[in-house]
Amino acid sequence: MRIEILGTGCSKCNKTKELVEKAVKETGVDAEIVKVEDFDKILGYGVMVTPALVVDGDVKVAGKVPNMDDIKKWIKK
Amino acid sequence: MPEETKCACGSANVAIFPCVGAANVGQLSNRIAIELEKQGIGNLMCTAGIGARAPGLMKSAEASDRIIAIDGCPVNCASKTLELAGFRVDRQIVISELGIKKSKDRDLKDQEIADTLGKVMEILQYE
Repeated sequence: MRIEILGTGCSKCNKTKELVEKAVKETGVDAEIVKVEDFDKILGYGVMVTPALVVDGDVKVAGKVPNMDDIKKWIKK
Repeated sequence: MPEETKCACGSANVAIFPCVGAANVGQLSNRIAIELEKQGIGNLMCTAGIGARAPGLMKSAEASDRIIAIDGCPVNCASKTLELAGFRVDRQIVISELGIKKSKDRDLKDQEIADTLGKVMEILQYE
Protein backbone atom coordinates (compact mmCIF):
# COMPACT_ATOMS: atom_id res chain seq x y z
CA MET A 1 0.00 0.00 0.00
CA ARG A 2 1.17 3.49 -0.84
CA ILE A 3 0.01 6.37 1.35
CA GLU A 4 0.74 9.89 0.15
CA ILE A 5 0.44 13.01 2.26
CA LEU A 6 0.05 16.03 0.00
CA GLY A 7 1.22 19.35 1.37
CA THR A 8 4.01 21.84 1.32
CA GLY A 9 5.18 21.43 4.87
CA CYS A 10 2.64 23.31 6.95
CA SER A 11 1.72 22.31 10.49
CA LYS A 12 -1.47 20.55 9.41
CA CYS A 13 0.46 18.57 6.81
CA ASN A 14 3.02 17.52 9.41
CA LYS A 15 0.26 16.57 11.83
CA THR A 16 -1.39 14.45 9.13
CA LYS A 17 1.90 12.65 8.51
CA GLU A 18 2.33 11.97 12.23
CA LEU A 19 -1.18 10.52 12.46
CA VAL A 20 -0.66 8.34 9.40
CA GLU A 21 2.60 6.98 10.78
CA LYS A 22 0.89 6.19 14.06
CA ALA A 23 -2.09 4.56 12.30
CA VAL A 24 0.21 2.39 10.21
CA LYS A 25 2.16 1.33 13.29
CA GLU A 26 -0.96 0.52 15.30
CA THR A 27 -2.69 -1.42 12.54
CA GLY A 28 0.45 -3.17 11.34
CA VAL A 29 -0.38 -2.70 7.68
CA ASP A 30 2.43 -2.86 5.16
CA ALA A 31 2.55 0.64 3.78
CA GLU A 32 4.94 3.06 2.17
CA ILE A 33 4.36 6.59 3.46
CA VAL A 34 5.35 9.36 1.09
CA LYS A 35 5.25 13.09 1.68
CA VAL A 36 4.43 14.86 -1.60
CA GLU A 37 5.45 18.50 -1.71
CA ASP A 38 5.66 18.90 -5.46
CA PHE A 39 2.97 21.33 -6.52
CA ASP A 40 2.45 19.73 -9.93
CA LYS A 41 1.89 16.31 -8.37
CA ILE A 42 -0.56 17.77 -5.84
CA LEU A 43 -2.55 19.48 -8.57
CA GLY A 44 -2.41 16.28 -10.58
CA TYR A 45 -4.75 14.76 -8.02
CA GLY A 46 -7.15 17.69 -8.46
CA VAL A 47 -6.47 18.75 -4.89
CA MET A 48 -6.86 22.50 -4.39
CA VAL A 49 -6.38 22.72 -0.63
CA THR A 50 -3.90 20.88 1.55
CA PRO A 51 -3.24 18.82 3.54
CA ALA A 52 -4.60 15.89 1.60
CA LEU A 53 -4.31 12.16 2.01
CA VAL A 54 -4.12 9.70 -0.88
CA VAL A 55 -4.25 5.94 -0.42
CA ASP A 56 -3.21 3.86 -3.43
CA GLY A 57 -4.06 6.74 -5.75
CA ASP A 58 -7.45 7.47 -4.20
CA VAL A 59 -7.92 10.91 -2.60
CA LYS A 60 -9.48 10.30 0.82
CA VAL A 61 -9.49 13.80 2.28
CA ALA A 62 -8.34 17.32 1.43
CA GLY A 63 -8.13 20.59 3.30
CA LYS A 64 -8.14 19.20 6.82
CA VAL A 65 -6.34 16.89 9.18
CA PRO A 66 -8.16 13.55 9.11
CA ASN A 67 -9.01 11.82 12.37
CA MET A 68 -7.33 8.63 13.45
CA ASP A 69 -10.42 6.43 13.07
CA ASP A 70 -10.89 7.50 9.47
CA ILE A 71 -7.23 6.94 8.63
CA LYS A 72 -7.37 3.42 10.07
CA LYS A 73 -10.56 2.70 8.12
CA TRP A 74 -8.94 3.86 4.87
CA ILE A 75 -5.76 1.83 5.29
CA LYS A 76 -7.46 -1.38 6.39
CA LYS A 77 -8.57 -3.34 3.37
CA MET B 1 -6.02 27.11 -11.69
CA PRO B 2 -4.36 28.98 -8.87
CA GLU B 3 -0.60 29.43 -8.90
CA GLU B 4 -0.27 27.16 -5.92
CA THR B 5 -2.32 24.86 -3.78
CA LYS B 6 -3.54 26.71 -0.76
CA CYS B 7 -2.76 25.35 2.65
CA ALA B 8 -5.83 25.16 4.87
CA CYS B 9 -3.83 26.13 7.97
CA GLY B 10 -5.22 28.90 10.08
CA SER B 11 -7.79 30.42 7.77
CA ALA B 12 -11.33 29.80 6.64
CA ASN B 13 -11.58 27.94 3.36
CA VAL B 14 -13.73 29.70 0.82
CA ALA B 15 -14.22 27.98 -2.53
CA ILE B 16 -15.15 29.94 -5.63
CA PHE B 17 -16.79 28.11 -8.51
CA PRO B 18 -17.41 30.05 -11.75
CA CYS B 19 -19.63 28.60 -14.47
CA VAL B 20 -17.04 29.41 -17.20
CA GLY B 21 -19.82 29.29 -19.77
CA ALA B 22 -19.39 30.00 -23.47
CA ALA B 23 -21.18 33.38 -23.47
CA ASN B 24 -19.52 36.64 -22.45
CA VAL B 25 -21.03 36.42 -18.97
CA GLY B 26 -19.68 32.90 -18.52
CA GLN B 27 -16.18 33.98 -19.49
CA LEU B 28 -16.59 36.98 -17.22
CA SER B 29 -17.51 34.69 -14.33
CA ASN B 30 -14.09 33.08 -14.68
CA ARG B 31 -12.23 36.39 -14.83
CA ILE B 32 -14.07 37.61 -11.76
CA ALA B 33 -13.30 34.39 -9.90
CA ILE B 34 -9.60 34.76 -10.75
CA GLU B 35 -9.60 38.34 -9.49
CA LEU B 36 -11.40 37.35 -6.30
CA GLU B 37 -8.73 34.75 -5.61
CA LYS B 38 -5.98 37.31 -6.24
CA GLN B 39 -7.64 39.54 -3.67
CA GLY B 40 -7.65 36.73 -1.13
CA ILE B 41 -11.41 36.19 -1.10
CA GLY B 42 -11.15 32.46 -1.69
CA ASN B 43 -9.78 29.63 -3.78
CA LEU B 44 -10.75 29.27 -7.41
CA MET B 45 -11.85 25.71 -8.04
CA CYS B 46 -12.87 23.70 -11.09
CA THR B 47 -16.63 23.52 -11.50
CA ALA B 48 -16.22 20.98 -14.29
CA GLY B 49 -14.33 18.78 -11.82
CA ILE B 50 -17.40 18.76 -9.60
CA GLY B 51 -19.52 17.75 -12.58
CA ALA B 52 -17.05 14.96 -13.25
CA ARG B 53 -17.03 14.00 -9.55
CA ALA B 54 -13.21 14.18 -9.64
CA PRO B 55 -12.20 12.90 -6.17
CA GLY B 56 -9.58 15.57 -5.47
CA LEU B 57 -11.96 18.37 -6.37
CA MET B 58 -14.84 16.82 -4.47
CA LYS B 59 -12.72 16.46 -1.33
CA SER B 60 -11.40 20.02 -1.70
CA ALA B 61 -14.96 21.33 -1.95
CA GLU B 62 -16.03 19.27 1.05
CA ALA B 63 -13.29 20.93 3.08
CA SER B 64 -14.59 24.40 2.27
CA ASP B 65 -16.27 26.39 5.00
CA ARG B 66 -18.12 28.47 2.46
CA ILE B 67 -18.94 28.06 -1.23
CA ILE B 68 -19.45 30.93 -3.65
CA ALA B 69 -20.91 30.11 -7.08
CA ILE B 70 -20.52 32.65 -9.85
CA ASP B 71 -23.04 32.04 -12.60
CA GLY B 72 -22.99 34.00 -15.81
CA CYS B 73 -26.73 33.91 -16.37
CA PRO B 74 -29.96 32.61 -14.78
CA VAL B 75 -29.43 29.13 -16.20
CA ASN B 76 -27.40 28.77 -12.98
CA CYS B 77 -25.09 25.99 -14.22
CA ALA B 78 -22.41 26.46 -11.56
CA SER B 79 -24.91 26.51 -8.70
CA LYS B 80 -26.85 23.56 -10.07
CA THR B 81 -23.68 21.55 -10.69
CA LEU B 82 -22.68 22.05 -7.07
CA GLU B 83 -26.14 21.29 -5.71
CA LEU B 84 -26.47 18.15 -7.81
CA ALA B 85 -23.18 16.99 -6.31
CA GLY B 86 -24.59 17.51 -2.83
CA PHE B 87 -23.02 20.86 -1.93
CA ARG B 88 -24.82 23.80 -0.43
CA VAL B 89 -24.05 27.08 -2.16
CA ASP B 90 -23.64 29.79 0.48
CA ARG B 91 -23.60 32.67 -1.97
CA GLN B 92 -24.60 32.82 -5.61
CA ILE B 93 -23.68 35.70 -7.88
CA VAL B 94 -25.27 36.02 -11.32
CA ILE B 95 -23.20 38.20 -13.64
CA SER B 96 -26.08 39.05 -15.99
CA GLU B 97 -27.93 40.58 -13.03
CA LEU B 98 -25.12 43.09 -12.59
CA GLY B 99 -25.93 45.05 -15.72
CA ILE B 100 -24.08 42.89 -18.24
CA LYS B 101 -26.12 41.71 -21.21
CA LYS B 102 -25.53 38.11 -22.25
CA SER B 103 -23.97 37.84 -25.72
CA LYS B 104 -21.47 35.84 -27.72
CA ASP B 105 -18.87 38.58 -27.66
CA ARG B 106 -16.11 36.95 -25.63
CA ASP B 107 -13.60 39.76 -26.04
CA LEU B 108 -13.91 41.02 -22.51
CA LYS B 109 -13.08 44.65 -21.92
CA ASP B 110 -10.83 45.65 -19.06
CA GLN B 111 -13.32 48.26 -17.92
CA GLU B 112 -16.14 45.73 -17.99
CA ILE B 113 -14.10 43.34 -15.84
CA ALA B 114 -13.18 46.11 -13.39
CA ASP B 115 -16.76 47.38 -13.11
CA THR B 116 -18.17 43.90 -12.56
CA LEU B 117 -15.49 43.06 -10.03
CA GLY B 118 -16.36 46.21 -8.11
CA LYS B 119 -20.02 45.20 -7.96
CA VAL B 120 -19.18 41.66 -6.87
CA MET B 121 -16.82 42.91 -4.18
CA GLU B 122 -19.57 45.20 -2.93
CA ILE B 123 -21.99 42.28 -2.70
CA LEU B 124 -19.50 40.11 -0.85
CA GLN B 125 -18.47 42.91 1.47
CA TYR B 126 -21.90 43.08 3.07
CA GLU B 127 -21.96 39.48 4.23
